[in-house]
Amino acid sequence: MKVKDVLIRDISAVFEDETVEDFVRICSMQSFSGLPVVDENMVVVGYISENDVINAAVPSYFSLLQSVSFLPDTHQLVQRLQKIKEHTVSQYMKTPAVTVKEEDSLIHVADLIIRRRLKVVPVVDDQGRLVGIVTRMGVLKGAMEKGG
Amino acid sequence: MRVATVTLNPAVDRQLIVPNFEVNQLHRLTGPESSAMTPGGKGINVAMLLDVLGISVVAMSILAGYTGRILEEELRRLHPRITTNFVYTSGETRENIAIVDPIKDTITEINSSGPKVDEKTMDVFLKRYIMTLSRVNTVVISGSVPPGVSAGYCMDLVRRAKQQKKTVIVEGIGRFFEEVVKNDCPHVVRPDLRRTQTVFDRSLETLEDYVELAKEFIRLGAEAAVISYQVVSDIVATKEGVWVFTSKEKVEKSHLFGTGDAFVAGIVYGIDRGLSYYEALKYGMAAAIAETKYVEKSALSISEIEKYLDAFEVRSAV
Repeated sequence: MKVKDVLIRDISAVFEDETVEDFVRICSMQSFSGLPVVDENMVVVGYISENDVINAAVPSYFSLLQSVSFLPDTHQLVQRLQKIKEHTVSQYMKTPAVTVKEEDSLIHVADLIIRRRLKVVPVVDDQGRLVGIVTRMGVLKGAMEKGG
Repeated sequence: MRVATVTLNPAVDRQLIVPNFEVNQLHRLTGPESSAMTPGGKGINVAMLLDVLGISVVAMSILAGYTGRILEEELRRLHPRITTNFVYTSGETRENIAIVDPIKDTITEINSSGPKVDEKTMDVFLKRYIMTLSRVNTVVISGSVPPGVSAGYCMDLVRRAKQQKKTVIVEGIGRFFEEVVKNDCPHVVRPDLRRTQTVFDRSLETLEDYVELAKEFIRLGAEAAVISYQVVSDIVATKEGVWVFTSKEKVEKSHLFGTGDAFVAGIVYGIDRGLSYYEALKYGMAAAIAETKYVEKSALSISEIEKYLDAFEVRSAV
């Protein structure tokens, strides 16, 4: 079984120069948890997820505390989100993006999903241009149907 | 991806088959086959037809809300090979209701207006449209325009595609269509005359009116024009002449659902195969006749379309 068997041919993406606010707006309207970041030729240059934005918005010491009970209120989070919402997504995206190709095996993408803790993997053509995505559920469903 | 379809005002189509339909009466549908819910809007319909004809398509649209999600999911389920590039706005994607009465041979259609599109959404859509242009040969811009979108915006879509040397096909209605055609005429034009038979402030009544309009589209710069005429005919024009295509097949009015979109898909198929505009128009007519064999919107095979290439008369209208 190959990536093309579970590929969702959706090329929704954000551009490098679009803002964090744009990203949040698109994700909230379309129920995405993250999006590939592309340049003007639709080449995938990174990936940005809701986690990347949350990590950028919470105070840097937060991850050391292990619990939100140490934070007095959400004021800091709100303030920091206001501060970064006009920033470009290129400032917070993960690079290089983890991508796969249509002819790659399903086990390869399953391995990436597990090892890199990914929810979505962008699928690209030979020039690195976005052709769609593979989701965790897509991999599971594809493997299950093949087994049946 | 060889073709991009742009549907600014898509819809979820609900087609109800109600024999002996009457207003002010209670009607019960007999079973699931009497009620179909499908992704719709002219460009989306063209994309679905092209997909079945083996042409790789990217469908671009502005969707909204719960109905928008239904449209997207149904399109993905029915046509997983179609690439999607959708932008969402606030509100709800419209629903278009068609009540087909096969006994009385009528179609009653109720189309809503669609969500108001804000400027931010239009900017986001335009950016994605420009990016997509680099990857296709042909652009089909089809259907009505939702509230908030200006004629200038539609003109910009056409101008940018033409600047990038793409073949542009536009099917539309009213002032927007007229302004687009007058400003920077697309390669192929087809006015949607279902609601009004008035174009450029001229009422279309006689055959001569239709022929004159077809000539005007060519004078304005179109390579080909199609105008629906009296159910069974179409007036078609290229720079070489004007013709009347008349179906030899009996056409039921209740089977006209989707025939305009089939015509456009047939033209795109012909252009994609490298045929002349005149030959591509013949594929359009054949596809439209093939579509009339079905009550509901149906996917057509190439062999079905080619079967009807001789199913219409051609006579010069000049």
